Amino acid sequence: MPTYKAPLDDMKFILNDVIDYSRLTTLPGYAEFDADTAMSVLEGAAQFCEEVLQPINQSGDAEGCHIADGQVTTPVGFKAAYHHYVEAGWPALAADEAFGGQGFPQTLRFAVEEMICASNLSFGMFPGLSHGAYHALLMHGADDLKAIWLPKLVTGEWAGTMCLTEAHCGTDLGLLTTKAEPQADGSYAITGNKIFISAGDHDLTDNIVHLVLARLPDAPPGIKGISLFIVPKFLLDADGTPGAENGVRCVSIEHKMGIKASPTCVLAFENSIGWLVGEVHKGMRGMFTMMNAARLAVGMQGLGLSEVAYQNAVSYAKDRLQGRSLTGPKNPAGPADPLIVHPDVRRSLMTIRAFNEGARALSLWVGTHIDLHEKSDDPQVRKDADDFVALMTPIVKAYFTDMGFECTNMALQIYGGHGYIREYGMEQFVRDARIAQIYEGANGIQALDLVGRKLPQDGGRLLRYFFHPLSERLARTSQDPQLKEFAEPFAKIFARLQQATQFIAIKSLANPDEAGAASSDYLRMFGLVALGDMWLRMAEVAYARMPTANGDRAFYDAKLKTARFFFTKMLPECHGLFARIMAGSAPVMALEADGF
Amino acid sequence: MAIEIRRAAVIGAGTMGSGIAAHLANAGIPVLLLDIVPDGAADRNALAGGALARMRTQQPAPFMSAEAMGLVTPGNVDDDLGALHEVDWIIEAVFEDPAVKAPLYAKLDAARRPGSIITSNTSTIPLQALIAGQSAAFAADFAITHFFNPPRYMKLLELVSGPQTRPEVTAALHQVCDERLGKGVVVCKDTPGFIANRIGTFFMYCAMHEALKHGLSVEEADAVCGKPMGLPKTGVFGLTDLVGLDLMPHIMKSFHATLPAGDAFLALPITLAPMERLIAAGNTGRKSKGGGFTRLVPDASGKRVKEVVDLQTGEYRAEREPRLASLSAARGKGALKTLVSFDDRGGRFAASLLAQSLSYAAALVPTIADRVSAVDAAMRLGYGWNFGPFELIDQLGTAAFAALLTTHGLAVPPLVAMGKPFYRTDGGVLEELLPSGEYSAVPRGEGVLLLADVKRRAKPVMKNASASVWDIGDGVLCLEFTSKMNTIDPEIMAMIRQVIAAVGDGSGPHKALVVYNDGDNFSVGANLGLALFLMNIASWDALEQSVADGQATYAALLHAPFPVVSAPAGMALGGGTEILLHSDAVQASAECYLGLVEAGVGIVPGWGGCKEMVLRHVAPVQGDAAKAMAAVGQVFQTIATAKTSTSAADARSLGFLRASDGITMNRERLLADAKARALTLVPGYTPPASRSVTLPGPRGKGMMMAGVKAMAEAGKVTPHDIVVADHLASIVSGGDTDGSAPLDETALFALERLHFMQLAHTSGTLARVEHMLATGKPLRN
Repeated sequence: MPTYKAPLDDMKFILNDVIDYSRLTTLPGYAEFDADTAMSVLEGAAQFCEEVLQPINQSGDAEGCHIADGQVTTPVGFKAAYHHYVEAGWPALAADEAFGGQGFPQTLRFAVEEMICASNLSFGMFPGLSHGAYHALLMHGADDLKAIWLPKLVTGEWAGTMCLTEAHCGTDLGLLTTKAEPQADGSYAITGNKIFISAGDHDLTDNIVHLVLARLPDAPPGIKGISLFIVPKFLLDADGTPGAENGVRCVSIEHKMGIKASPTCVLAFENSIGWLVGEVHKGMRGMFTMMNAARLAVGMQGLGLSEVAYQNAVSYAKDRLQGRSLTGPKNPAGPADPLIVHPDVRRSLMTIRAFNEGARALSLWVGTHIDLHEKSDDPQVRKDADDFVALMTPIVKAYFTDMGFECTNMALQIYGGHGYIREYGMEQFVRDARIAQIYEGANGIQALDLVGRKLPQDGGRLLRYFFHPLSERLARTSQDPQLKEFAEPFAKIFARLQQATQFIAIKSLANPDEAGAASSDYLRMFGLVALGDMWLRMAEVAYARMPTANGDRAFYDAKLKTARFFFTKMLPECHGLFARIMAGSAPVMALEADGF
Repeated sequence: MAIEIRRAAVIGAGTMGSGIAAHLANAGIPVLLLDIVPDGAADRNALAGGALARMRTQQPAPFMSAEAMGLVTPGNVDDDLGALHEVDWIIEAVFEDPAVKAPLYAKLDAARRPGSIITSNTSTIPLQALIAGQSAAFAADFAITHFFNPPRYMKLLELVSGPQTRPEVTAALHQVCDERLGKGVVVCKDTPGFIANRIGTFFMYCAMHEALKHGLSVEEADAVCGKPMGLPKTGVFGLTDLVGLDLMPHIMKSFHATLPAGDAFLALPITLAPMERLIAAGNTGRKSKGGGFTRLVPDASGKRVKEVVDLQTGEYRAEREPRLASLSAARGKGALKTLVSFDDRGGRFAASLLAQSLSYAAALVPTIADRVSAVDAAMRLGYGWNFGPFELIDQLGTAAFAALLTTHGLAVPPLVAMGKPFYRTDGGVLEELLPSGEYSAVPRGEGVLLLADVKRRAKPVMKNASASVWDIGDGVLCLEFTSKMNTIDPEIMAMIRQVIAAVGDGSGPHKALVVYNDGDNFSVGANLGLALFLMNIASWDALEQSVADGQATYAALLHAPFPVVSAPAGMALGGGTEILLHSDAVQASAECYLGLVEAGVGIVPGWGGCKEMVLRHVAPVQGDAAKAMAAVGQVFQTIATAKTSTSAADARSLGFLRASDGITMNRERLLADAKARALTLVPGYTPPASRSVTLPGPRGKGMMMAGVKAMAEAGKVTPHDIVVADHLASIVSGGDTDGSAPLDETALFALERLHFMQLAHTSGTLARVEHMLATGKPLRN
């Protein structure tokens, strides 16, 4: 059975030494959340994840969800765990204080997300979707709606969902047909079917607040005719408690590859009462608020699973004795050497480790920018931070989840045949990781978002807050006797990224297929360079701390060794990606469709 | 014998008369501008003099240059009729009343030199009515020349001759209006409203009625008439506001009084409820304080916001973005077809409006003009439509249009009933359908060379994504920009290098190059979006390379072993002006707006603009330190303040054009003139030698910056203006030269690059570039 230990030391290092967490405490409303408070929150979350969530991960997968009479029940232990989660106040952590939240920085929520995803991804779906609904309502809902629905979403007493997909439209939401008929009292009657609704029905809460995309009778066709509605499972009685059913029925739940303890529902709405969120025909705005937040959260799923898979693969590689080292026995007393002596096993472990630590730093760095965007009183800082988050969202989503799948798969491989056996838990990580590449905008869509929307937006403005600081950092660290080992080759790759960026921007003006053909390679290259930025910063800190380090000397030493691995064994992948990008779209498009 | 126009007179100093006088002066023709003597006026020329004074500051400017202003002499019809004897052409532009015109004509006839031409600028009165009661000699020398407002800028001139008019008179007017005044002359028959106003007014009225009938808002109607139909952005309601709502009933009444019975115009109701309401409230359009269909009112923060009348209630409300499914659907190829067949308010409005107005136009040929191309030209030139009525019918298809008429219960005019397209290309020649059912080439004036016609006949010699090269005959190639707004980008640079290589030393089939395009604007400058992108991704090397590539390319053009003539029309800014500065000669459209405007976006001209301005203006006076410093200061000021010429004549005084560079009044003749100019340069052509210039160095820079500092203290420049000015001053003063050795072209290029790149690294420049691209306006940071 797999185990999990939250990487608190690494989180502490990143918060304090790499991303300058203390900067956040100067923001309005954040003064009380200093680094010590932050760490005690993370310690509490770690304990909850390790002791409550992780133990029911494998059993939840084995049992799955059940449906009877349109009511979904979660696997054994989930209801109790959720109760515990609510009691401890976790749903309210980074929620707005005006609605009963604790108002902690979003950055910390990123760290907690990683832990939840690592320990029990299925469980994480429930609060994750509730948070999405909370956020969309907070940003776009009218005050009276907020007053009614937000407080219990914040406490976790009620859960939320996002209802977008219909049987005939997923990526292309402009085609959706769910209807919203205006009612005399200002509400709407919602009728239609939604599929793939995560946490669409369950037994964890008294009520479920669905955010539903639907179309008014006079709506223009396509994406500009979609409105967003809040539709509860149960209507509220006069005293505000859930009462009458609201015509929302779970028709069935999907049988799927992974995240089996999270019910993926087909929901039927029949004249269900709903209320408009935001403006008529502008539902996509609210939906994008949810989706952008959800995309970052999905990226964290890739990282979380990669981390838990890594921890178990490491212990297996240390314990499992099999074969002898190529350079002579390392465990002469034993019958064989542990797997970890083998270079190829190490290659896998180092790859996963370097990704995890780099991605963790990047995710928290992005998290601080969400805080800067929400809280700074300097409009320029807010705008720059928002630009940075917008740019990094498709990268965090797609690169982290692609790597999540690759890393869990590599970790499984280390187990050999046992990795394929359920009991060891490794194949669950692979199965669970797979969905993250698909939902909240398939990774191909993320790549298109990056090259088609984020790159050209306002003449490349979003790129500025990534390229300028990194360009300056590389110029500076290339002069540093210790860091130039990393910075010099990195600078060459950075120049390649600039070249590829320019190439795509120019070529796609004449032929948009050029951007499409380059998109996935480009996103991966960007992801690697973004991790490189983090590794360069971490290496710089490690060198700086090393002379005065006492007990944590090994920690900094490992950081530098992992940095070296990243810069020599992972970042050079960019050269291949660059060559592929520069080869253009012709080789991709040449074969006629009939020739396939 | 051909009649030559050496001097002219305009009678009537109202808006039209004075504007016509100014434009004659723009063409270099001295004009006498006469009006009546106001009762009891001390200054007997007060009306004409006052009009002249107004025109000196009027925007858009009626005059192209100060020189032209000096060519108009004010006078009055009581004291100065004697001077008419010296005049070859008298234009009458007085009140539209035969009772006023007839006695005036008699006086003019008596005073004028026999054989001189008299024309009227009437827009409503038939020629036969005007000559009634006048002498036979008068009738023989009389025609109508109908200008549009404002006369300098509106291209259309409707020319109407009577059977009595001498052919020499018509020929002379045609020639002078076309070649010297630069107008698109459309020959019309003597019918009410001639061509443009007859069809244009019908269309406007019809559109307003149909909008009301189909429940469209002002914004929706204007949007449907805009992009998909190709009407100017002003829109139908906007144009009515511009004309003046109170004038519309008068125009309608005039048409009702003069049009023959059975004319479809007479079936349109004279009144339109929302317009009546506005007129009654005194809201007669742009000229009135209250506005018209639209108005600008200050909002809470004092910002002026647009409000629009609700056609149903008559109340003003905030402007709304028009949202119609038909509008979203009608895009790209076949947009018009999609529009008229779309089943929503917008589609039904468009179908009904086009059915009525286009069939009206089709029923009027050959009554108002012999050719459909004349009608189309009149609507394009006089009303700014992108397509004339027959071009619009062709977009729908003649047969489909006939079917549309039938469904709307309208008669199918004989021209449409033939079921043939109105235009076709046969053997590379554009042909039009005649009322006889035959096709005949669309007439082009003698000496007119259109790149569009060249393109019909042949394929480009070379082509890439942003430029094409065409063979325009006689060994001359034409380089055409095809990028968006003709911005200059790496593809254009590559094409310039490619064409230089292709022409070689001129011993092959090609001997000269003309840089020209048919666009409204020659080029709005370098592709700023590309530069911003490179700045955003910190690709400084690539940015510098693009500057260096441009310099090398323009230098190669200047020193190419064959003559290069550039022919700009409209805007030629930044990199667009720099290419002119690197040409052997420029043949400019009279309406061309040149400027090295880089400072507005926080940079300096980097493709040799600074270099050429300094070489042109400082080198000739470098022996005289004071004069040289003054010339450096002049160049500095022109570039630092991003001065843009208001005409070709103005570009000459700003030093962007040389005295030897030519000016063409008629845009359609620009390419032919440029080609002719290039051919004159071919025999014995030698490329310009490399040049150098002695510059004052840091001391000179100090003097310029002292001036900037003084302006800063007066609050006239912004902080980043000073940064930009500092770098520009460094370039034009020669960097750290001590003034002893001259700087050659390479050294000047290097200075441009250095300071361009230093500015590109500043956040102030980045903000300016970004703001310009986002808003189209300069940021004053």
